[in-house]
Amino acid sequence: MTATESVSKRKKITQILAEETGGKSYKAHKYSLDSERSSLEYSESEDHTFFWKKHGETEPPATYKSLDTLARFLAERDEQVLTYFLDGSRHVYKVDDMAYTQSGNRSVIYPTIAGQVGVGICKRENKMMIPEALMREIVLSVPSIADPSGKGGFFESLSVKLNESNELARIKQCGWKFATPIPYEIKQDERKFEDRGTARIQTAMIEREKEMVKKLVREGKLNQDNYLVKDGSLEYRLSKNDKDDDKSFQTFKQNYNWVIGLSKSFNPEACFDKGKTNPGFIADLPLYHRTPVAYFGSEKEPLAFAVWYVRLRDKSKTRTPFDGILKVEKILVREDEIKNGMETETVDRLSALIINERNPTCYGTDSRWANHIYPIYLTERFVKSQYLSAESFLHLF
Amino acid sequence: MAKNKLIGRVLATEKSPTTIDEFYFWTNSDTKLNAFDIVKVERKDNTDTFGVIESISHITDSTSFLTNFISSDFGDVDISEPTFRVGMNYARAKVSYNTKGDYTPVHNNSKVFLASPEEITFALGLDKVDNPLVCGSLKMYEGTEDEVTLPVKLNAKFLLGSEGAHLNISGISGLAAKTSYAMFLMKSIQDTYANRSDEDGSVAFVLFNVKGRDLMAIDCENTELEDKTIEEYKKLKLSQKPFKQVKYYIPYYDNKSTKKSTYLHPDDVTSYIGSKKLKKFKYVYEDDKESIEMMFANVEDPNQTMESIVSKIIDESDFDFGNLKTWSEFLETVSENSQKGSNGSKGEISVLSWRKFKRIVNKAIKNDDMFANRVVPEESECRLADELKHIKKNEVHVIDIAKLPEDKQAFVFGDAVKTIYNLKLGEYDNEGVAPPARIVIFIDELNKYASSDVPKSSPILRQILDVTERGRSLGVVLFGAEQFRSAIHKRVTGNCATHAYGRTNSIETSTGDYKSLPDTYRNMLTRLSQGEYLIQNPVFRSLLKIRFPKPIYKQFK
Repeated sequence: MTATESVSKRKKITQILAEETGGKSYKAHKYSLDSERSSLEYSESEDHTFFWKKHGETEPPATYKSLDTLARFLAERDEQVLTYFLDGSRHVYKVDDMAYTQSGNRSVIYPTIAGQVGVGICKRENKMMIPEALMREIVLSVPSIADPSGKGGFFESLSVKLNESNELARIKQCGWKFATPIPYEIKQDERKFEDRGTARIQTAMIEREKEMVKKLVREGKLNQDNYLVKDGSLEYRLSKNDKDDDKSFQTFKQNYNWVIGLSKSFNPEACFDKGKTNPGFIADLPLYHRTPVAYFGSEKEPLAFAVWYVRLRDKSKTRTPFDGILKVEKILVREDEIKNGMETETVDRLSALIINERNPTCYGTDSRWANHIYPIYLTERFVKSQYLSAESFLHLF
Repeated sequence: MAKNKLIGRVLATEKSPTTIDEFYFWTNSDTKLNAFDIVKVERKDNTDTFGVIESISHITDSTSFLTNFISSDFGDVDISEPTFRVGMNYARAKVSYNTKGDYTPVHNNSKVFLASPEEITFALGLDKVDNPLVCGSLKMYEGTEDEVTLPVKLNAKFLLGSEGAHLNISGISGLAAKTSYAMFLMKSIQDTYANRSDEDGSVAFVLFNVKGRDLMAIDCENTELEDKTIEEYKKLKLSQKPFKQVKYYIPYYDNKSTKKSTYLHPDDVTSYIGSKKLKKFKYVYEDDKESIEMMFANVEDPNQTMESIVSKIIDESDFDFGNLKTWSEFLETVSENSQKGSNGSKGEISVLSWRKFKRIVNKAIKNDDMFANRVVPEESECRLADELKHIKKNEVHVIDIAKLPEDKQAFVFGDAVKTIYNLKLGEYDNEGVAPPARIVIFIDELNKYASSDVPKSSPILRQILDVTERGRSLGVVLFGAEQFRSAIHKRVTGNCATHAYGRTNSIETSTGDYKSLPDTYRNMLTRLSQGEYLIQNPVFRSLLKIRFPKPIYKQFK
């Protein structure tokens, strides 16, 4: 094959999309949709399915509980159960505008959204971080109307075509592949199409995270001595399948027995103390103390969360009173946990270990240093280091 | 050959690019490497580039000192962290060789390996050495399971001439073991040349013993030698015997006198004389008056008055001095010239100058048995010059000047160097002498005779400059050692083809003499252990860090 032929056979991804979906590509300006906007907008945190029910631990303290002594004790003995660290992230771009003909021969333009999704797990062994698993894929979100038949199976076959493209070939060997494109809804409401596409990619990322957790559990790597710490909230919901099938539900719960979520940022308005929102209670949390555990449940879902806050850094050394506080979440799994909340001893122990994670810091490289713990920071750096550069990625389209 | 061990990858960034001369590479922070280790980089064109490690750095992802301080709870020194910071080592290597002579910079991310012993040998240019002469051994990857020890050989023609000659050894007393290294090299030369029959392959040695009895038993076995040392000599393929064909010369002293001129024990002197390997040397006026100038080596003589007195004395037709036969007659005549009212040499030289001259020669000659009327060969006495003139192949002449005062040490040294130089110039050819092709002169404390502070008119400095500048072609080779290289006359060090740098201090390394060395090597000089040297020789592609075994001859404690 001559060089000219090879170039002519190299179809851009937007070209394949146009051909396969029957749309018309406008080759519009390509740009990143990642901005300083909080991911809260895309996640379902605003959803009020879960609400404060009661105290979520066996021996609830009346107020803040100091863990200074326990943390020191554990540090001296080098005791550790936080072994695995998971971080998922995504970079989302608008890569094209595609026109689809609708009723009355009208042509409507929809954005094509593409994201690089990466989920990585690092393991801590002898105080050193080593990569455990990494998953990377390119996720496209196109308007649901891109599927001309609407009968299903279309996007799956589209992904086959995408994965066969010459454009992908050059990065395939590095482990990149196209996931099945996810359609976004096109019904009229106040949300922008770009945001809808971004939210779908975010959901896809959360799914990948769940799969990674499942994989670790399946390999028998998580247990009482080896917890997984996930970056961010445990915003995992039961899928329809989980709800309907008891076995699947049990598996889900089993998977999360040894998983905790650590959030760097949280909505202070959603901080509850004795059932009432009380941001001041969290803001005044003294150094190396934790709040009592709150039990969050739902009427709709058979799932409960234990949520508490831990302060790692002195208020006088941070910018805002909420810097230096981590929100800890754990899905309540066992029957007794669901009934009475977590064992206070376990909460104390996990909190003390989290407090010990305050050093080393990523001060100087990450402005969120006060809320970051180093192993998560490294996992994040690992995942992000595996991304394609924006130029390289946009060149695919 | 075992597969090379992969240890890292080449780094090429905008700020630290790879060049014709050097490259950087990263390794794990627990990979143990040392300066002077050789690494191999595989290139895409199937050639290998070799580099010598010059420096190694360790970095972490900590952006500033403050980050580390904050990571200890703002200054709590007791804090231990549950996760180690991500860190790595990176090394700077100087390109030493490419298998096809292609020195285009190595590419980013190229694999970096440890080199095999064969590869180390040719990377350093040690594989095809003509006239090989062992000058020590080097260790690569020290302290690891991949440690390699290799003998280092240099081309003797670059040490003893004709391509290059002279050796300069520097380093602080004791810790550097300068004498031991010079002796090791001479031992290696003697072993190598002992059985060579060709004309060019004959070497003899003249050594000056300047400290205690250090070199006064170099033909005696070292009974306290450890097996390890013997093994080292075996590995270097050198004999495990001390020096052969050694002759000792001590300044003459009367047996009845209580004043001895050597640190050697009287019993040893007797026994050495008995085995005909020791003679006492004397200076006889008639034959040695030409060396009187050597007594003025460290005397400032801006108006050349001393020099003119000396020329007058050695002038055979001189009215006053031409017919003198003994030192006492000489001293008397000098005395007469120093008398008030004497017209000296018709007023050319002032009485004051004669008096200065008298003071100096009186101090040296009066009351010293060494300056005598005649030599009695039957009593194992000799004239040093006569002995040196008849030095033979493989012989080692040790001249003991340890107990002499400094001015007389200079006199003996200057006289000996002059004799050897003249011998090789062919001045004594009519006396039936047959000198070996090369004569090695070893002197410790070279700074006494060739320091940059020595008066420019010094006859010894002139002699040393003659040797270093013209000795290479004549076959006179100087092995000089001193504490501080920077104190030595530039023309002396500049003419040495081989330089051995031993342990020294940081004041010394900050002088201009060491400017050409990379920082790491300069700092390394302050940390070298006893028996370790950095060697520079035109044959080697870069400086080499070598070590040598302990002396094989008897050591006095």
